[in-house]
Amino acid sequence: MLCTPVEHRLSRRRFMGTAGGTALSLGGIVTPAFAEKLRKERRQVLFVWLDGGMSQLESWDPKPNTPFGGPFRPIQTTVPGIQISELMPQSAKLMKHLAIVRSVSTQDNSHSAGVDRINRGDPKNRGVVYPYFGSAVSKLVGNNDSGLPSYIWVKPMSGGFIYKDAGFLGPKFGALALGDGKPPENLLRPKELAPEDDDERNELRKLLDTSYAAQRRKEFTEANTHAFEMAAQLQKKIELFDLSKLPQKDQDRYGTHDLGRHMLLARRLLEEGVTFVKVTSYGWDTHGDHFNGAASLHPKFDRPFAAIIEDLRDRGMLDNVLVIACAEFGRTPRINGHIGRDHWPEAWSVCMAGRGIKGGVVAGKTNDRGTEVASDPVDIGGLFHTWYKALGIDPKETEFRNGGQPLPIAHEEMKPVKEVLA
Amino acid sequence: MNAQQPKTAPAVNAPKELGKPFTADTQINRIRFSPDGKLLVAACFDGTVKRWDMSGKEPAEGPSITGHNGWVTSIAFSGEALFSVDSWGRLTASSVSAKESKLWSVENAHDGWARGVSKVAGSDVATCGKDGFVRLWNPKDGKKVAEFDVKSDVLSVCFAPDGKSLVAGDLFGIVREFEVPSWKVLRTFEAKELHRLDRIQDVGGVKNLMFSGDGKTLFVAGAEPKSGGFVQCIPLMIAFDRSGKRLSQFKGVNDNEGYITDLAWHPDGYVIGTTSGQPGQGKFFLWKPGEATAFFSGGKLPNCHSVALHPQGDKIAVSATNANSSGNGRVKGMGGEYPANNSPIQMWSLPKV
Repeated sequence: MLCTPVEHRLSRRRFMGTAGGTALSLGGIVTPAFAEKLRKERRQVLFVWLDGGMSQLESWDPKPNTPFGGPFRPIQTTVPGIQISELMPQSAKLMKHLAIVRSVSTQDNSHSAGVDRINRGDPKNRGVVYPYFGSAVSKLVGNNDSGLPSYIWVKPMSGGFIYKDAGFLGPKFGALALGDGKPPENLLRPKELAPEDDDERNELRKLLDTSYAAQRRKEFTEANTHAFEMAAQLQKKIELFDLSKLPQKDQDRYGTHDLGRHMLLARRLLEEGVTFVKVTSYGWDTHGDHFNGAASLHPKFDRPFAAIIEDLRDRGMLDNVLVIACAEFGRTPRINGHIGRDHWPEAWSVCMAGRGIKGGVVAGKTNDRGTEVASDPVDIGGLFHTWYKALGIDPKETEFRNGGQPLPIAHEEMKPVKEVLA
Repeated sequence: MNAQQPKTAPAVNAPKELGKPFTADTQINRIRFSPDGKLLVAACFDGTVKRWDMSGKEPAEGPSITGHNGWVTSIAFSGEALFSVDSWGRLTASSVSAKESKLWSVENAHDGWARGVSKVAGSDVATCGKDGFVRLWNPKDGKKVAEFDVKSDVLSVCFAPDGKSLVAGDLFGIVREFEVPSWKVLRTFEAKELHRLDRIQDVGGVKNLMFSGDGKTLFVAGAEPKSGGFVQCIPLMIAFDRSGKRLSQFKGVNDNEGYITDLAWHPDGYVIGTTSGQPGQGKFFLWKPGEATAFFSGGKLPNCHSVALHPQGDKIAVSATNANSSGNGRVKGMGGEYPANNSPIQMWSLPKV
């Protein structure tokens, strides 16, 4: 289906099948040194999605004392010359790890179209539905031999298997969504069910699956089986979801609200090797009383965002994990009569860190009032190029294949933001 | 009791427009008349305090008071002295009639957003802020007299008319009454319905506090939030007696009307208030405490953010936001430029009640 560097990667399974008798392995057990090597080869993504659109002016691109600047102060970051909003003090301390693109200019000012366009990279229309970035990375990178689903979405409210994210890649590259960060319902074997009875029940399920599959399209029946298997994989790691066993200090640093808890779970999932973890926070569409909203919301993003970057750094994982904070657009410079900011795809900011990213960098700029991009504008296609390059995937040499049709993995007329690439 | 707003206000009690609106070229947080009624001053989004001479036939804009940062968020008069606070934490005292206007200024009166300022005859100057503090300042030289750490985002502060106590309202709908200057908490007034935790966003809070002229009734105002983000909320004002007992309340009709953004007490015994509203909505209203309905609700300008009662009690100024203030994406102005919004101000005569 595609030719990617992943095919050339030494997988644990392949290693166990071919080199299992070498000095690296004893009796089928991976040595600590080799496990470390595998860990270092991981390519992972943390994708933080602030649904509704975070204001660039109250975060990464403040314009103090200008007509649209709002009430907040700018603060100095740890990188001389770079200031961000006072609502992001923890991120300011970690600026040397962060790269901000302030010249993002995208196409849609509606949520319904904007969410899809940003997540799918807005490629040229070829009559196919492109995958969300999470599904694409899941396909291109694989599952890092984690034994866990490669694309997990931690979100408020309900969960489930979200196959629509996968587009033409096929449903099995969809997201396993963990509603409110909880494992899929009915995951655990009920206490009253004996293990042997559970095995028998699973055999029956497989038999019924085969019968069901014979009458339906293969990709959907495969996805059903895949979803069940993913859930079963999580069953073996059920302890991941018990955040109460983590040090209180961790819970305090991340915060006990939804976004804090979900980011802490994301760290646990990344530690376990999950390839792509998406964390969504809802409620950022602040058309009304925006500045009080930002005063409440932004620190609740800032703290866990900084905490997870610190933790990934301290664990040596920032070399593996590409971290992205994004939304479908920013917010208007103009302040409306309800003291809100509306939708603004024209000139906004995206922040990233980690694998393949040069920290302490601001790329692109807006004009003095924040109303125009004052450098080369960067559309989402350019960001997809940037993110793939950061992951070591060259969009010029890698393509999807959809039933024999070659398809570029990112908009072929766009290019990466080189200033932020390591 | 709910004060349902009538669809059509009784003509006998309806305020009447006085002239045409005049416009500040920036949005306004607060307007107030000077004690002699000759000046109208405005705390503005552009970090200035604008002032208009209202003694002629038409308002005449004079030089603005500068030196603030961010937004000027609140203002209070005491004689010729005007006290103003801004969103970067500065407190400034100015003489509004003098050519050289600044008397003194405290750069970091609060760490960040100073939200309110209050002063009555003989009192110190009280301020409150997002940093959680309520502070008192000597009105003559700006020296800090005392402070109290509420440990909560304090949205509003107001002296009792006798200056012997002070109330401060926070994000979570709690109002504390302090004895001045001992900082003894005399009582708390709970209006928790003014706050909502929507997902991870704290919404609402005590946006305004006001005493009746005799000091016997405290009005605690904001809205009953239904959601964060877009912020759907129904205006809500609760009247308490000084023991903390609820007396009555004014509640708007629908959740597009927004917050109660400002209040004024009329000596005839009624409340004048403004509501923010969704873009294109928001109004001002006149309500007599204890009555079932507001006796007037309307006003042609949308998104009203402040009301100033003239010292003679016969008229008010209402500041609003221009029409068509909202819109996604690159909205263009008449000249093709990206437009900023502004604040029209309309004068109204008040009815005899």
